[in-house]
Amino acid sequence: MGWKAIHRWLGLTVGTLAVVLGITGAILAIDPVQQAWQAPAAPGGLPVATLVERVTRSVPDVEEIRRLPSGAIVVFSFTGDQPQASYVDPANGQVLGAWHASALPRWVKNLHRSLLLGDAGRWGAAGIALTMGLLCVSALVLLLRRMGGWRRLAARVRGSLAQRIHVVAGRVVLAILCLTSLTALTMSASTLGLVALDTRAEPEVLSVAFGKPDVPGAQIAPLQSLAVQDLRKLTFPGATDPEDTWKVATAQGQGWIDRYSGQMLAWQDATLAQRVYDLAVVLHTGEAAWPWAVVLGLVGASVLLFWLSGLVIWWQARRQAPHITGNSPLTQADVLIFVASEGGSTWGFAQTLQDALSQGGHRVHTSALENFRTTATTQQVFVLAATYGEGQAPAHASHALEHIAKLHASAVPVTVLGFGDRQFPAFCAFAKALDQTLRAQGWPALLPLECIHQQSGQQFARWGVALALALREPVVLEHVPRVPPTVALTLLARQDYPGANGPATAILRFAWPAQGPGARLRGHGLARFAAGDLVGIVPPGSAVPRYYSLASGWEDGFVEICVRQMPGGLCSTHLLGLQKGGSVAAFIRPNPGFALPRTRRPVLLIGAGTGVAPLAGFIRRNDRQAPMHLYFGGRDPARDFYLGADIQRWLIEGRLTTLQTAFSRVPDGGGYVQDALRRDAERVRGLLAQGAIVRVCGSRAMAQGVAETLDEVLAPLQLSVSALRAKERYAEDVF
Amino acid sequence: MSKPLSTILATACALAFPTLAHSRPLTLTAQLKNYGGDGAYLAAYLTDAKGAYVRTLWVAGGKAKYHKHLSDWSRLSAGDAQRLSGVTGASVGAGRTLKVTADLADALMDAGYEIRIDAAAEDMRDSPSEVRIPLSKANAGKPQAGKQYIQSATFQLQ
Repeated sequence: MGWKAIHRWLGLTVGTLAVVLGITGAILAIDPVQQAWQAPAAPGGLPVATLVERVTRSVPDVEEIRRLPSGAIVVFSFTGDQPQASYVDPANGQVLGAWHASALPRWVKNLHRSLLLGDAGRWGAAGIALTMGLLCVSALVLLLRRMGGWRRLAARVRGSLAQRIHVVAGRVVLAILCLTSLTALTMSASTLGLVALDTRAEPEVLSVAFGKPDVPGAQIAPLQSLAVQDLRKLTFPGATDPEDTWKVATAQGQGWIDRYSGQMLAWQDATLAQRVYDLAVVLHTGEAAWPWAVVLGLVGASVLLFWLSGLVIWWQARRQAPHITGNSPLTQADVLIFVASEGGSTWGFAQTLQDALSQGGHRVHTSALENFRTTATTQQVFVLAATYGEGQAPAHASHALEHIAKLHASAVPVTVLGFGDRQFPAFCAFAKALDQTLRAQGWPALLPLECIHQQSGQQFARWGVALALALREPVVLEHVPRVPPTVALTLLARQDYPGANGPATAILRFAWPAQGPGARLRGHGLARFAAGDLVGIVPPGSAVPRYYSLASGWEDGFVEICVRQMPGGLCSTHLLGLQKGGSVAAFIRPNPGFALPRTRRPVLLIGAGTGVAPLAGFIRRNDRQAPMHLYFGGRDPARDFYLGADIQRWLIEGRLTTLQTAFSRVPDGGGYVQDALRRDAERVRGLLAQGAIVRVCGSRAMAQGVAETLDEVLAPLQLSVSALRAKERYAEDVF
Repeated sequence: MSKPLSTILATACALAFPTLAHSRPLTLTAQLKNYGGDGAYLAAYLTDAKGAYVRTLWVAGGKAKYHKHLSDWSRLSAGDAQRLSGVTGASVGAGRTLKVTADLADALMDAGYEIRIDAAAEDMRDSPSEVRIPLSKANAGKPQAGKQYIQSATFQLQ
């Protein structure tokens, strides 16, 4: 069982009870705050003897003085037969008002520590605290895995609203929740009798009377040298027992003082266990400092937030769980397909492959990669593997590689198809590792390793053609990805760039429908997005979405894309034919590798044609005026300087620091964008030496050219595009 | 059960409790006030004419961690390793009544002995020697009020 499974199942089961403890804990945090309002803290340096003198002057029959962890002084006394407990002003000994241990009903505390079930409940509460600790540890492992290590812990969080709430809130309170669990366990250990705080007997001490009267508290030397800040409790000798002593308790231990001589009769140091316990109580309850109690209260309440968002995340994942139809039994199948998928989309490709091969008369069995094996009937094996995070295996297949490395190879060909995203340095790393392991073990392959970028249906279809040739069978892979729920976007405005001798292009700006927080929490409606993310448009008459880079972010309040007419393109034709008020079905797909991190470092933006769109989105949101430098490549400034007017305005507003353009179809236009970079080699080197971040968007050929040019330009700095990529300073969005 | 076995058991019981003839059961009843807190810890014990600890009659409240709050009892009985054997029960809720029975030798009556009860409740004040009842025939059945937790405490002789 992996960390993810531990976290999920503990959270969904015991987490429900943890919510009860969290909420009651938050309520209990009211007490320290309320008590801080009621009484001032005693000045730390005040001698206890002076305090005794002040208190005895104004309060008769004092039995005990306590210094609360908050610093307030409480005096216990009797008025006639009536026991009294009062706050006292340490400055003059005046009674400030009645003291109550808690303003809350007793059952709140009992619910918190024993679920109102007595001792059995205390064991239960300790179990919940232990579970909470395990949840925290597993959360930390998952958080580091998700964010990609300690150094990127503070990076922007992507995903559905529930996921973002869970991760962002977790990042903030994880350490405190962990501390709370640990202190709860410390307290439980002593209450349940697992640890004895102090097993020593109290010393047998008596005040020895010589016919002398009591020494007044103010004249007792040990109390004169004791500061109030160290005091816990001072018990006065009883009036009716002549042998009774003063008893003083401090953080360091407790002592007994003769009532007639004022001498310390005995002293016991506090045990280590007692000190640890005392510290745990203060940290767990916040009773020593009300701001800490406020923090603890908020953290307690956050448990409910985690549980709710966790529930939603689990529900969303369940809905996306793979369902393979038409699966043949393993023992009868001649083709086996094994899948390693993180988000679930790879299962869709497996289903397409299974359907195509089944149609050709094969008996196909599809299963998860961790079940990898061959049988006597197996003729072909296909492995469809996605990569997670920093080149790791998807969670469910985390041990698959070791498992496969232990198997003996057979003559059955095993072909690997990887799925990934070129934005990430570890593109298809897990698929590559699988392929290497299989070849090293001696398994043959029908086709060499192929890596599909961003779930490209076209690339998958091309692989299908190669497969058909290799199998000498008519196999057609028409992958229809499962489209996420779409939202109808309404066209607000369009800016047209008619193409005289090139294709028509338009900047389209859409509005999304209003959606309540409930819908967003469940992942319905349009997901939050940033410039550089992708919007998937599903044109009428097709189930296959086309992706466009976003030139705007959620904060801008609109969805803006740059659409170029593709010859015979279903989607571009539909989009370019839209009138104001018309609508399209759309959804958001995050593009986390390309998004710009929050930075004050210089940013080098290089775009050609419609590739300027996401770069324009970055500039539009550059409210903090980080130095951004745009290299734009087009054909003719009169025809395809997309968003040109906006870009000029941003220059004036300071959102864009410099602009360099290159137009290839006009005389003295400056050629291609690569030529502009080469001309500015000195400046580009300077920017990158300052730690600049680079974003490139345009056609694959253009991106290739830019990378080669930059490698030349950067050679004197001992820098290269691949080195920048590894440091996540360089990313491309290509089409 | 066969007849010989039951005969043996009856003989054994008669031999085991020879002291019963010289002692009698005492019932101690303590009615608690509605002091508005969690269940109270109580320790009922016997002291002699000099105030020295004799034996523990009953301890209500099972967590050893809190026994030091029954401070007089805890201090006086420290030397008695058997102080908790067979005489412990649950803590007593506010407004409830504790009723315990103990066998006391006749010789203890009217000889300066005293029944004391220490009381404590969480987050509230410790009350050592909450009640002290001199053990005399005249005091039997006479309710005594406690300082903080006990409404009335009475012992009855049978």
